[in-house]
Amino acid sequence: MSIVLIGVNHKSAPVELRELLAFSEEACTQGLRKLVDGDVVREGLIVSTCNRVEVLAETARERLQEGVERITDLLSQSRSLPSDFFHKHIYSHTDDQAVRHLFRVASSLDSMVVGEPQVLGQVRRAYSLALEAGTAGRVLNRLVHHAFRVAKRVRTETGIAANAISLSYMAVELGKKIFNSLKGHTVLLIGAGEMAELSARHLLNAGVARMLIANRTEESAARLAQEFGGEAVDFDRLSSHLADADIVICSTAARGYVITAQMAREALERRRNRPAFFIDISVPRNVDPAIGRIPNVFVFDIDDLESVISSNIREREREAERAELIVESEIMQFQQALRALDIGPTIGALRQKLQDIARLEMTRQRNRLGPLTPEQENAIESLLLSTVNKISHPVLSHLRRSYATNDSDTLQA
Amino acid sequence: MRSLLLAVLAAYVVAAIHAVLAFVNKRRSLQRVSEWSMAAGFVLHTGALLADWAIDGHYPLFYLRETLSFLAWTLVASYVLVLYRYRATALGSFLLPLISVLTFIAIVIRSESNGTVEARGLSATWLFPVHTTLLLFAYAAFFVVFIASVMYLLQERELKLKTFSAIFHRLPSLAIVNEIATGAAAIGLTLLTIGIATGMLWASSRDGHLWHNDPKEIFAVLTWLLYLLLIVYRSSARWRGRRAAWMGVAGFALVLCTFFGARLMGGYHVFG
Repeated sequence: MSIVLIGVNHKSAPVELRELLAFSEEACTQGLRKLVDGDVVREGLIVSTCNRVEVLAETARERLQEGVERITDLLSQSRSLPSDFFHKHIYSHTDDQAVRHLFRVASSLDSMVVGEPQVLGQVRRAYSLALEAGTAGRVLNRLVHHAFRVAKRVRTETGIAANAISLSYMAVELGKKIFNSLKGHTVLLIGAGEMAELSARHLLNAGVARMLIANRTEESAARLAQEFGGEAVDFDRLSSHLADADIVICSTAARGYVITAQMAREALERRRNRPAFFIDISVPRNVDPAIGRIPNVFVFDIDDLESVISSNIREREREAERAELIVESEIMQFQQALRALDIGPTIGALRQKLQDIARLEMTRQRNRLGPLTPEQENAIESLLLSTVNKISHPVLSHLRRSYATNDSDTLQA
Repeated sequence: MRSLLLAVLAAYVVAAIHAVLAFVNKRRSLQRVSEWSMAAGFVLHTGALLADWAIDGHYPLFYLRETLSFLAWTLVASYVLVLYRYRATALGSFLLPLISVLTFIAIVIRSESNGTVEARGLSATWLFPVHTTLLLFAYAAFFVVFIASVMYLLQERELKLKTFSAIFHRLPSLAIVNEIATGAAAIGLTLLTIGIATGMLWASSRDGHLWHNDPKEIFAVLTWLLYLLLIVYRSSARWRGRRAAWMGVAGFALVLCTFFGARLMGGYHVFG
């Protein structure tokens, strides 16, 4: 058997091509049914997301070339694409390379943002579509489940998805580092803006209990309060609300400091020194950087956040290198499992054949034995079968082992 | 007994290695191995202490080797409590190596047991085991305060400087280490108070004096005052966070002085 993977991703093809090739779920099952003929292509699966369109298939080894053609036909003809344009952007992997590619995709090592969690769900969905279409069989089942296992290992054993790499999510991550859980905490959102609102949304998802919203224009405050289920507060009386807030997100167009060191000090006094976390994503800065020197107060401005993000990205890249090692070792394990899968039916047939011979001999010699009780008859049969099994067992398991380790010399001998 | 303690040591060393690896590699399976190995070590250790008590005939907290072994045992017990309450596994990668070292020393200096008569005499009164056990648990609690405080200071510093090292992401959050330190300090102070009180009671029943101006006593009272201050200030919310954490570190320096004080400076608390 051969495993083939053919497709395009965000690195190999521009979005214009990817969107032309993309399969809807319906098109997926239809395409799979058309592709898998049980003869050339025996099993198939289509992963189609905004960043990749890939067809994974299992073919007979001697008919690999035909299989590849069938798959490229499926991809190109169904969209009536000029074939040279198409061939420039496509990649085609077979066997170990195909396995490696799938493992890397599932582990999010091949993603635009390394470590993003969505791709595993997309591979899962692709697999269930293939199951629906009835095109996932014993090889793909094993391969896809192995890919899930690799993805899980990579996720738990490396830090590729550990640290936030988006500005808006940093508020949640740092907030958790300071307060452990954001449940029951209060956020004060000062000003508006895409990034501030996105941060607020992430914080709400993380379980923040109360959201206070201050804005120079009352309508904006009211609008955001409604959107987030928060409370609009008076912008001119900021300092009185500051004491309530555990996390303050500041993003206004003000030219000077909206929160001065004096305000922060007073708020902290009223908070009885409970820690406070200021995120300042406005330029020019709205939070006096001197506040950062007050004990129990943590201030991050836009540059601080950016530098944390770039160090997190470097960390992810380092972790991705460790992940590649996991992928390599899993490919070897999969090869072994696959070989066992390959020889399994052969060994089963061999054992069956030997047992059939024993039974045949038994019927041939039965007349010579004279009358026997059913117990005696059963005893003779089980004696014959167990003798055959005991003699053949070491040979068969040796065969299985040497096949799994690809030891062709002993096989031939 | 020695072979039993060796088995204990082996279990703790396995637990320590796996805890450190789990800390570095963030692997839950390694953490599980560490916890099971520690649990096995703890059970064997409890058995060893009980057997010691039964065979030698005195409470196994008299000679230095016994004290170290017992201290290791109380540290494991404290870690189990912290683990149960907070799942703060990071603590283990610092505690378990120390526990292993203490157990190792306890095994190596095994030879000093000869004055068992005096030991038996001292431990005849019920106050001896109570006094010493309470104080050892107090020391263990203060060590937990110390580690949690160091974790707090490390992370607070990195948050202020906005540069995060690899260790930063592996430590429990500020709120958690703060809570651990506060809780452990309260428990430690309670144990220390009762421990000192029973010590005074015992001393007065021996020779009629509550106080002997012994370095160990002086340091113990200083330690007591410092942790009292820490807790009072914390609950009045004036000293939170970094300053409280520094006190947790300073307090532990005093604890070390108390623990080794008698050995280095002599005085009433020298036995055996």
